[in-house]
Amino acid sequence: MKLLLVEDNERVARFVCKGLAEAGHTVDHADNGRDGMYHAVSEPYDAIVMDRMLPGGIDGLAIVEALRQQGNRVPILVLSALDGVDDRILGLKRGGDDYLVKPFAFGELLARLDALMRRSQVQTADTTLALGDLSVDLLAHKVTRAGAAIALQPREFKLLEYLLRHANQVVTRTMLLENVWDYHFDPQTNVIDVHISKLRQKIDAPFATPLLKTVRNAGYMLTDRP
Amino acid sequence: MLKLPTFSARTIAVGYGVVSLLVLAMFAGPLWYAWHTNVEQVRTELLRSDAQRLANLFTRSGEQALANAIDSQVIGTNDGVRKIMLLAAPDGSRIAGNLSAWPQGLPDRDGLCSSTIHVDGKARRIEAMRVILPGGYRLLVASNLNRFDELERLFVYGLLACALTVLVGAILGGMLIRRALLERVQGISQTTAAIIEGKLSRRLPEPHDGEELRLLTVTVNRMLDQIEQLVTSVQDVSNSIAHDLRTPLSELRARLEELAITRPDTEETFAEIDAAITDIDRVMGIFQALLRLAEIDSGSRRNGFVEVDLARLGAEVTEFYLPVAELKEIDLSFHGGDALTVVGDPLLIAQALSNLVENALKYAPEHGAIAVSAQREAGDVLALSVADDGPGIAEDERPKVVERFYRVDGSRGTPGVGLGLSVVSAVARLHGGSLRLDDNAPGLRATLALPVHKLSARSDNPDAASGTAVRA
Repeated sequence: MKLLLVEDNERVARFVCKGLAEAGHTVDHADNGRDGMYHAVSEPYDAIVMDRMLPGGIDGLAIVEALRQQGNRVPILVLSALDGVDDRILGLKRGGDDYLVKPFAFGELLARLDALMRRSQVQTADTTLALGDLSVDLLAHKVTRAGAAIALQPREFKLLEYLLRHANQVVTRTMLLENVWDYHFDPQTNVIDVHISKLRQKIDAPFATPLLKTVRNAGYMLTDRP
Repeated sequence: MLKLPTFSARTIAVGYGVVSLLVLAMFAGPLWYAWHTNVEQVRTELLRSDAQRLANLFTRSGEQALANAIDSQVIGTNDGVRKIMLLAAPDGSRIAGNLSAWPQGLPDRDGLCSSTIHVDGKARRIEAMRVILPGGYRLLVASNLNRFDELERLFVYGLLACALTVLVGAILGGMLIRRALLERVQGISQTTAAIIEGKLSRRLPEPHDGEELRLLTVTVNRMLDQIEQLVTSVQDVSNSIAHDLRTPLSELRARLEELAITRPDTEETFAEIDAAITDIDRVMGIFQALLRLAEIDSGSRRNGFVEVDLARLGAEVTEFYLPVAELKEIDLSFHGGDALTVVGDPLLIAQALSNLVENALKYAPEHGAIAVSAQREAGDVLALSVADDGPGIAEDERPKVVERFYRVDGSRGTPGVGLGLSVVSAVARLHGGSLRLDDNAPGLRATLALPVHKLSARSDNPDAASGTAVRA
């Protein structure tokens, strides 16, 4: 995937570029708003990581807005040190697809970027999701694995659906909290881990190969790859 | 400082004087005018009718009868005499009346005229009516105007005296007001000066009279209370931040320094780095909580208020923490019935309730019980409460636990930054409600009471109907 990083902090930029390259992406980097704008309009990217406060006279959100006005629908992840809920809403309202507050864990950034790019690739209205021998009927709310029916609570079902929609991708705890429960605060307890382990009890424990894996320092991944 | 009260007192005095004089003029002017015109009219008509009557008498009964009638009506010419009458022969010699001869200076024609004549050496202003009778006899009927002089003088003097009284009153009043104002303003300014110097506990003395100033004083004192509280809490927060951030930061520093000095093998280095990241996350958590508190306290979140069903929100939060409770074998349950709708920020209320539930989970013993409930407290107050059977909080500690960074003794070892209840309290304040901590005997019952506000001007908000959280 070809990515553009618009970020003026040299150390953060180097760290992110290196990480994204290691994850198999090609990264262009612009360290000011003017260059960022130039790159974004002149080359096709699979996703853009945009810092909000930039030198060069152009604010990151202004670039996002300009791109959207031109009809450019590239997925954009907005980075910002501003953490107010209103700042988030503003960032999304002006055309950002996701919003990540600095400082961030690299795993979080990578997971969210993958989710964004996946979303732009396939916008499916599937009625069934499947991974390996696990299959979920979204209409009938039925879960089966290797032919055996599994009974899930409504929220567990939603959690599994989200994991399945992002199968083979790292999903962070914050992403789960925001997308499955619609909560936007950090619980002080490991409540997400407990929910995951409960789900694991139901979909993995009775079977030989586990699907729901823990990714160290990042989150979880539902995958049938070893 | 002295200029303002002087100016305002003088303005009040001048304004008072001018207004009083205006009122006086408005009162006296018409009175004077009405009196004058009325008197003149009556006088003229009297003169005409007198002259007519006397002329008729002469025509009917002759000269002698008229002379007798005149002499019976007028005697003397002193200052107070009302009427002056004279019947003169065609040559001007007196036949009857209270003038000795036909006066000089009268116009030589019939009808009304005003003039000044000399009688016994004194000037008399008169209004006169001259009639030439048949045979050349001349009749003069006149009214003495001088007899009104005294009255007019009295009127004018009275008016002047009134004006003077008003002016003196205005000056005295102005001086008094000025003195009173100065006294009070000086009191306020002295207190304010003391406050500027840092004596934040000083308050304005409350005046015993004067509702306006009392109102101002009370308001200013309330403002001072708020300022003092804010300054104190800022100081407290600074101290607490210094303490609570310094601890993880010094741990982090020690960890890194040790790493730099000892240069252990790769395995241990990685473990230390992971621990360092955890330390930093803790610092970031404190920052985030503080920023969230500041954001809540600024009140800007009120713009995003929608209708929130507390019963549904309570059920969802309870369900969210159910697996954690099961793990600790705590009986976590939710009690609530029909929809209980308030207008508020669903994200913040959910966070507040989560904080309460997390607190309860932290302190409830194993096999304990936590009851979350949503209920109507009074007519227009709804409440979310979380009751546990843990150790509870001593009564004298309860007000303190709401303060930022305050942590009950003995809880320093448990995770958390000591901002949870502060956030709950701030959320309550934002919604015009309150956080109550009561004894659950045993344990703690924390109640978030929120008043029902109708969503008035914002009913066009699309989120209002569904009551769902704003996606951010």
